[in-house]
Amino acid sequence: MESGTAAFLQPATVNRLDLKRSEPIQSLEPILEVEGIHKSYRANRVLRDINLTLPPGVVGLLGPNGSGKSTLIKAILGLVSVDAGRGRILQFRWPEQTRALRDQIGYLPEDDCYLQGLQGIESIQMMARLSGLHRTEALRRSHEVADLCDLDQERYRNVETYSTGMRQKLKFAQALVHDPQWLILDEPTTGLDPSQREQFLSRIDTLAKEKGKSILLSTHILHDVQRVCDHVVILAKGEIRLVDTLARLQQPTQAGLQVGVISDVERFMVALTHCGIQSRRTGACELQVLGDGPEIVKRIWSTSYETGIPIQRIDQARNSLEQAFLDAIRDSSRVTMGNPVAIDNKASLPEYR
Amino acid sequence: MPILDVGYRNWQGHRTPRWTRAAIIASTGIHLVWQGTWLKRVLLFMVVPAAVAAFIVGTFEQTIERPEARAALKGAFRSPVVQQAANARDIDLDTVLDQPETLRHFSWSYVLFGLLRYPQSIGMIVLIGLVAPRLISYDLRSRGYLLYLSRPLTPFEYVLGKAGIVYFLLFMMSAVPALLVYVVGLFLSTDPWAISHTWDLPLRILAAALVLILPTTAVALALSSLTQESRFAGFAWFAIWVLGSIAFRILWAAEQARNGGFGSRGRRIRMEEMEGFSSWMLLSPYDTLGNVQQQIFGLVPKEAAAWSPWVLLAVVSIVGYTIAYRRVAGMLKA
Repeated sequence: MESGTAAFLQPATVNRLDLKRSEPIQSLEPILEVEGIHKSYRANRVLRDINLTLPPGVVGLLGPNGSGKSTLIKAILGLVSVDAGRGRILQFRWPEQTRALRDQIGYLPEDDCYLQGLQGIESIQMMARLSGLHRTEALRRSHEVADLCDLDQERYRNVETYSTGMRQKLKFAQALVHDPQWLILDEPTTGLDPSQREQFLSRIDTLAKEKGKSILLSTHILHDVQRVCDHVVILAKGEIRLVDTLARLQQPTQAGLQVGVISDVERFMVALTHCGIQSRRTGACELQVLGDGPEIVKRIWSTSYETGIPIQRIDQARNSLEQAFLDAIRDSSRVTMGNPVAIDNKASLPEYR
Repeated sequence: MPILDVGYRNWQGHRTPRWTRAAIIASTGIHLVWQGTWLKRVLLFMVVPAAVAAFIVGTFEQTIERPEARAALKGAFRSPVVQQAANARDIDLDTVLDQPETLRHFSWSYVLFGLLRYPQSIGMIVLIGLVAPRLISYDLRSRGYLLYLSRPLTPFEYVLGKAGIVYFLLFMMSAVPALLVYVVGLFLSTDPWAISHTWDLPLRILAAALVLILPTTAVALALSSLTQESRFAGFAWFAIWVLGSIAFRILWAAEQARNGGFGSRGRRIRMEEMEGFSSWMLLSPYDTLGNVQQQIFGLVPKEAAAWSPWVLLAVVSIVGYTIAYRRVAGMLKA
């Protein structure tokens, strides 16, 4: 296998940023700049030397279960104390000013926490009042965000009668009611059906793009990240493994094409190999082809004609976020604390024919 | 497709001071507990003793105005308990019964103390047993504390807010009825000097209510914070009062028997005899509170007045609030 071929499917090396040395992702003022965060539960080190700078916009916080995502979020909010670490979040010193910081953050917890006996609208109003809105204004604002979150007449029902999806909507409304600068959403789409999830992501998209909200979306659903996020942070075993823009993450290091065929992918790939085109299967009816340009496209069409396998789609190749995620969380022994992640992807890449 | 959809609008406005936010926890909690049917029943039931006390005070005021009724009053003031209490305040009953208005302060004090000591205290135990156990334990179980503490609240304010729920209920249950009895007494008195004779009683009522409210709330919150199962906290709450009271009575009776205290009166233990201070009383929260309230109303013989119940209540309060605070703050460190 040629080294260039292997690099084709690797995320760009620039993806593995050393935050201390690399250029800022955006020229805008970072929303979060923290360094040296350590957190242990007795002998179990949950966060290890977290150095992180987040730009405004929607940032996806990815990581497998137990990677420390929720702990990092709680540490940001001051809901868990850290062993070490300092920095600046929004305009506040962290961790000294976490209390003032919480006025500017809307938090949607992963846990299914609610106060039994309260109506939905009362729950939202209470959270608004805890964030400093006057009673009447809190009620008015609560109805406004309940409308936004599609909580219709259910808002007058007690929260313990809510379905999982409605509770997620309620928690989102509670997080949003005091108009925070930054929203931290911990697994917000868990328990939502596809339609509700799409609506939820659409809401996040609107808030970010039209209302200028910054959002940290912690999830392990890669589709959600691809759908709404500008940037991606991957956390594994308490370490930051990758920070980059989604666009760069999905950009291959070498040009390629994504080809969709109606059927018989394997035979099509063999035929392409005979024409001198390297490819690899990426889905049930999809393959990636190394190289692009008119000549390659012409040869692909010829192969389709010769094999009788119709082509459904040809597009510029993209690295899948799933692959980047798997690459980033793999082989933790090679990760050096506080240094750029050095992951050898060759061992896991599929062979090109 | 909605006819009108304003979408999301940014909000700008004046925020309330941070120190007021514990009150929001309290008001929400009061709103929640008020939904309980049993709570309303207990509170309604607690009006009855207050009405009886008001009737007694009113009757006293009307009686002292009528010479023919004074004879009946003299009879009522002959009981050993009243004699003992009167002696504690250096009151010569035989002399003053000829001028009953001089007994006004003593009589009102005794009625108000009786109201706080018996029906209101017992009602308090039931009421707090219904309300307090789930105040913190439920939040710990449902992780509802994350909702509160993700806002600009400290664990102290959270505990204060939760305590505010109990404070409010106990105040409404103890101080308010007693103050109403006092006001009714003033209205029913034909003597314009009644207010000058009894001006200190509202302060004593507030002090007695405070002594009732602070330590009991501390214990209730501490128990609630120690478990995620509110039924355990409820069980512990009732066990403390019941077992403490039983232990005190058994040990007190045993001590009396050893000292030959029942020799002349047989073996029947009278409640009034137990009003005096005994070190065993400290085992019983109910009797310790009663003793302190008795001191506040000036109804304890001087030689029987003791500091140890005060010290015990102070220690219990400090320990209780500390436990509740540390449990909640501990959640943030975990």
